[in-house]
Amino acid sequence: MKPTKLFSVFMMSVFMLTSVVACSGGSTGTSGTKGPSASPTENSAEKYAVTKPIKIEWWHAIESQYQPTVDKVVSDFKSKNPNIDVEAIYQGSYADLNNKLVAAQAAGTTLPALAISNTPYVAQYGEAELCETLDPYIKATGFDIKDFGAGLVKSSSYDEKLIALPFQISTQIMFYNKDMADAEGIKIPTKWSEMDEFMKKASKVNNGKTDRYATVIPGWDQWYFEPFFLNNGVKIVNSDNKSTDLNSDKALNIANQIKKWHQEGTAFFAYGKDASANMRQSFLDGKAFSVIHTTSLYDMYAKSAKFKVGMAWLPGGDTNYSEIGGNVLLIPKKNSQEVKNAAWAFMSYLTSKDVNMVWATDTGYMPTRNSVTKTDAAKEFLKTKPTFQVVFDNLDKINPRIQHPAYSQLAKTWMESLAKATIENQDMKASMDNAKKLIDEILADK
Amino acid sequence: MEPVLENEKKIELKKSKISNIKVEEFKDFLTVLPALAFFGVFIYYPLAQLFNISFTNWNLIKDSYKYVGLKNYQWLYNGSGKAELINSLRVTFIYTLSEVTITLVGGMLLALLFGKMTRKYAFMRSIVFMPKYVGMSTAAVVYAWILNGKYGILNYVLNIFGIPSVDWLTQQSTALIGVLFLTSWRVVGYAMIIYLSAMQGISRDYYEAASLDGATKVQELRYITIPLLSPTTLFLFVTTFIASMKVFQSIDVMTGGGPYESTNVMVYWIYNLAFVDFRVDRAAVTSILFFIILLVCTILTMKVSDKSVNYDS
Repeated sequence: MKPTKLFSVFMMSVFMLTSVVACSGGSTGTSGTKGPSASPTENSAEKYAVTKPIKIEWWHAIESQYQPTVDKVVSDFKSKNPNIDVEAIYQGSYADLNNKLVAAQAAGTTLPALAISNTPYVAQYGEAELCETLDPYIKATGFDIKDFGAGLVKSSSYDEKLIALPFQISTQIMFYNKDMADAEGIKIPTKWSEMDEFMKKASKVNNGKTDRYATVIPGWDQWYFEPFFLNNGVKIVNSDNKSTDLNSDKALNIANQIKKWHQEGTAFFAYGKDASANMRQSFLDGKAFSVIHTTSLYDMYAKSAKFKVGMAWLPGGDTNYSEIGGNVLLIPKKNSQEVKNAAWAFMSYLTSKDVNMVWATDTGYMPTRNSVTKTDAAKEFLKTKPTFQVVFDNLDKINPRIQHPAYSQLAKTWMESLAKATIENQDMKASMDNAKKLIDEILADK
Repeated sequence: MEPVLENEKKIELKKSKISNIKVEEFKDFLTVLPALAFFGVFIYYPLAQLFNISFTNWNLIKDSYKYVGLKNYQWLYNGSGKAELINSLRVTFIYTLSEVTITLVGGMLLALLFGKMTRKYAFMRSIVFMPKYVGMSTAAVVYAWILNGKYGILNYVLNIFGIPSVDWLTQQSTALIGVLFLTSWRVVGYAMIIYLSAMQGISRDYYEAASLDGATKVQELRYITIPLLSPTTLFLFVTTFIASMKVFQSIDVMTGGGPYESTNVMVYWIYNLAFVDFRVDRAAVTSILFFIILLVCTILTMKVSDKSVNYDS
């Protein structure tokens, strides 16, 4: 047989062999090897104890300015738990961490013992059974889960099972220039119906050119403008879980108002990759009276601004809820029980009362335990950051996010459609009708 | 008797020759086997798996999946994926053709400009080539700031000359141009160096003969330089074409596929389908189509080059 023929036969064989291997498995295939057995069934605390020295990895997305806090917390844990050596690894943004976690899950190897996850991913991870169910651990070790708000627990659960613990929690808030507000007598709106007047009072528009925006609405992430819709009767995902009402009259009303403010220059709908940085700079430069952002960035604004920074609850409508942001901690299910036990020990420590206030004090994230907010430490916290009083006063109004495995796709489609109609001055109804068509297909496909 | 014996001897000799050839062929095959195994494991097996996944509903993080027949193909060719596919292909081809044009034309012009072998020109060549050493992600972060609509230095310079600011990366009409600024800046120096070395290989006799016949510099460029550089042009065309079709980093850092999917090139779209939407099944179908498109483009390029490339230098 000639070399070329031999080569061709070999390649065909390889191809066919790999096709056969790939297609084996009948009607249900497997993508990787499953790890050791899943959730423990016994309730004994001994089952979840760490009995021999172990080294574990903790993947996080905590930015470098908080590295000293991370180092301190990890070091304190190690001194109290000499058996468990924790390596905290920064994996980039939430999106980067998600990509790596998902790749490790698909490969079945190199999974961390513990990982942070942005709250929107909980439903997808829950549906994919990526996370260890924590209920048996909580029951066996007597962990006080009731100390967390009901909304926080719900946002860390999927299908009635607790699959994560609330860790660094934030919510939407309006940061405003308090010096400007006091000097010009600008009243922060508490209702959506007051926004028009607020836009006129707080902005400075001269001959079509905006010298100062009343507010900047982040358009690069639907989480920021979502409460405006939810508080004014829009469901976003209908009760059938397969359709959206984003093209309803209620939703169009809100969307058209945002568009009107953007087009007349009283507010700015910030969209694009550099929109977040531009928004922060505009506020710090005094080119925006207020911005809608996350409470976790309070420290950044307060330290960088040359004026006093105030925080105000977002204006509501029929209701005035906000949504949980930030991140949760989860334990990948595929790890061995020894690794999961060590991860649980570290996870319990990170979410304990003592450490709760450390995160809140050193970062802009909020305390997550109800008991902590009544302690002396919390009182001290409010003395140093009195603006957080508005958040403490409204803790029971912080709701879990909408949990649907396809929500990230819905959010992307919604955000793009709203941005295009608002910024490019296109017909909002046509844009939202088209978005509804796409979103209904996305939701129905799950 | 003797002729029969001779025939038998000939047959035996022939058999022994054939068996020697077979042994040699087998030895040759053995030396190639490691490379073939590498290809099999890292290219052909993943390709087969990709094909397999395109018939499933796998979402990357679940351990199991179901076979759904041609559902994903229907989504791409008849469903909501079709509009996205058309947009993504359009953006990818516009980007690719623009970058190829800038690379070939810019590279050649720079090679002609800095062609003299003197120290000053060597310094200029190194300045032009230097961007190739800068990592793409790093350069993209810097360019994103240069092109920032509110605080970017490019707009600052434009304002000095009375030209109004442009939202380079947040306007549909300019976002792709902004990305092309970066990629052109990086690749045009490389094309210049390739063209320069090819130009050094063109015999001076052609130019002397042309000069004697009264040819102008433009005529020399058109009838001598460009035709004799056609193999180099083909090489740059193919490599730049393939690299541009697979652009990802600059898009990811600078625009995220936006605004409104105006820079949503194929690879970025496939990445989003797999890792953001968790639709690996749809990403697989799209990847297969993209692979076929790249293959067809490469074959067409080779066929055209057979007729128009001059290897006479």
